[in-house]
Amino acid sequence: MSDTTEPSALNQPEITRRTFLFWGWGAFLAFLASSVGSVLRFFLPNVLYEPSQKFRAGKVLDYPLGVTIDKANRVWIIRDSKGLYGMWARCTHLGCTPNWFPAEARFRCPCHGSNFSAEGDVIAGPAPKPLWRVQVTQTPQGDLLVDKAVMENRPGFRDKAPFFINV
Amino acid sequence: MFNKIDPKKIFEDLTNTQVWRSMFRGGTWKNTSRDRAQHILGNVWLHLHPARIRRRAVKFTYTWGLGGLSFFLFLILTVTGIVLMFYYRPSPELAYRDMKDLEFVVSLGQFMRNMHRWSAHAMVLFVILHMVRVFLTGSYKTPREFNWGVGVVLLVLTLFLSFTGYLLPWDQLAIWAVTVGTNMASATPFVGAEGPFASLLGVGLKNDARFGLLGGTTVGSATLVRFYVLHCIAVPFITGIFLIIHFWRIRKDGFSAAPIENEPPQQKVEVWPNLIVREYIGAILMLIFLVGWSLLQNAPLEGIADPNVTPNPSKAPWYFLGLQELLVYFDPWLAGVVIPTIIMIGLMAIPYLDPDANRGVGFYSFKERPFANTVFLLGLFAWFVLIIIGTFMRGPNWQWYWPWESWLTHKPPPPPTTVMPLAVGGGLIGLYFTLGMVLPLLIKYQFNVPSTVKKILAGSILLALIIGVLPSFSFIKGAWVGFAVALYTIMGILLPSHYLKNISRVRYVVCMALLLMMIGVFLKVALHLGFNVKYIVSVPQVSFNI
Repeated sequence: MSDTTEPSALNQPEITRRTFLFWGWGAFLAFLASSVGSVLRFFLPNVLYEPSQKFRAGKVLDYPLGVTIDKANRVWIIRDSKGLYGMWARCTHLGCTPNWFPAEARFRCPCHGSNFSAEGDVIAGPAPKPLWRVQVTQTPQGDLLVDKAVMENRPGFRDKAPFFINV
Repeated sequence: MFNKIDPKKIFEDLTNTQVWRSMFRGGTWKNTSRDRAQHILGNVWLHLHPARIRRRAVKFTYTWGLGGLSFFLFLILTVTGIVLMFYYRPSPELAYRDMKDLEFVVSLGQFMRNMHRWSAHAMVLFVILHMVRVFLTGSYKTPREFNWGVGVVLLVLTLFLSFTGYLLPWDQLAIWAVTVGTNMASATPFVGAEGPFASLLGVGLKNDARFGLLGGTTVGSATLVRFYVLHCIAVPFITGIFLIIHFWRIRKDGFSAAPIENEPPQQKVEVWPNLIVREYIGAILMLIFLVGWSLLQNAPLEGIADPNVTPNPSKAPWYFLGLQELLVYFDPWLAGVVIPTIIMIGLMAIPYLDPDANRGVGFYSFKERPFANTVFLLGLFAWFVLIIIGTFMRGPNWQWYWPWESWLTHKPPPPPTTVMPLAVGGGLIGLYFTLGMVLPLLIKYQFNVPSTVKKILAGSILLALIIGVLPSFSFIKGAWVGFAVALYTIMGILLPSHYLKNISRVRYVVCMALLLMMIGVFLKVALHLGFNVKYIVSVPQVSFNI
């Protein structure tokens, strides 16, 4: 019983040297590729020692109309007639910090000349996207809580909570 | 007793000892032809030279010693770099203080840093000039195609060495250069979080190319160590490997100055002393120049790195200002990644596209290589025009200031830019490439190139004037239209029709694709400067903008 072989199995073509080498080299190349991939993975750290993206930025009601620059946290807090929002002070072109020019009512980047409105929209220059607005929430005590990890730049979404506080 | 001292005898006794002979091959120097050859062949430092070389190749105005001087600068950089490493600690708290120590406390510290910085600038310049020399003498042709490619890699590595070097002082220039540079990595299609199509592969802020370069999400201490290792170990190591291949191939493919066809056989000259003396004189003059320059001019060091303050304007060193200026006209993924990559691939492809391997090899000739030289010099010219614009025409907020204008002059902010509708822009690009590919093949008439170029230029100027007087246009806009028409008809149609028509179809298509992309870059810059066009094609959903 055990030494009988199924007739159909005998008809199976044997493994030729060509197919054996094809799969052998294939497996070797796959091994090489995955080794390269895992070495590349080595360069992506698993733990970061960077400051938290979430911080308190004073009392909501203390902010005056216009643009307030928070250098330590690299955000702008902007208050208009309706309320208050925060923007990450980072150009969407290549990451420099733009400057606020009140007389021209625009942010201007010194590296490649991008211009943004106070709403964060691109007016001129090479920046491809509007500036990122960051999450702003108000604690029951009236403190402003900013989280730079949560961002939005689409009109219609960026003007609502949690990216906008009605004051 | 002192009268009996004979220096010659002492030297002979010394060179006849077993110790001396074990170190220096060849034994006593007899100043014969055989000894001079032996000196080249038996010396580890000189053995990459052949023993004898064509007389023409020794002529200074043929090679200008540019390749040798590039390598000499690499050696100066290695030595001064090692010296600087003794005082430098790669940590954000210490790095800038160590730079100040080098400046004020360490004996010769400022001098060593000056030498390192100015040699780096000189090396970039000399590597570029060396490439130009090799191109203009047709020295990249068979059998040297591969070595030309290695040379292009070495040019890129030279630029990358400079780039990785400038984070190390941890000053304002450093942090912003690296911020911009790594953001370009982030704009790479597919592997950069902010590049086109990245979202399709699940590439985000914490697994993209920038994250790997920075070792985090912002420029910090992890970044500084990474760039330190790249600058001091990793990139020099890779550069060294490519240098070995480059030199070995120079020797194996025949040293400089390939023979001109039908040239009477030249009598070869001995490399020792004819070439060696010239090489060493060149190196010494370069060293004297750099020492003098380093004594007179200090390497720049800005204020300590501060992520909250960007210098205004923030300018890269001259060799990256062309790229910085290009970034004004294109999205980062195009100007920062795709265009440089295509330039690199295009340069490497030149020897394989060149249809005539024997034409104009080994001497400067415009007559034998009019098309190749025109296209190459046009590209080089464009690079330096962008560098000049970036250096002299850009002021605060990267606004256009002429060199004679004060940066304190108030200028109106830049006007709003427009985006072409997708159908119009896509149609224009399709038409541009289709016409450029097909028209040169369809033209059957044989031109007289100089007179036709003159006619096209005259026609373009006329067109510019006509458009210039139209209402709602201006002479500036007319000039831009005239420039675009002249460039496209001469470089994109007339010259290809004259010089490229008869090469193989594959070569023709690759050549024309590269040429049309190059002209396209000029035309996009013209559209932006003249008509405030931001994008010809824009698909914001996948961050794809041209």
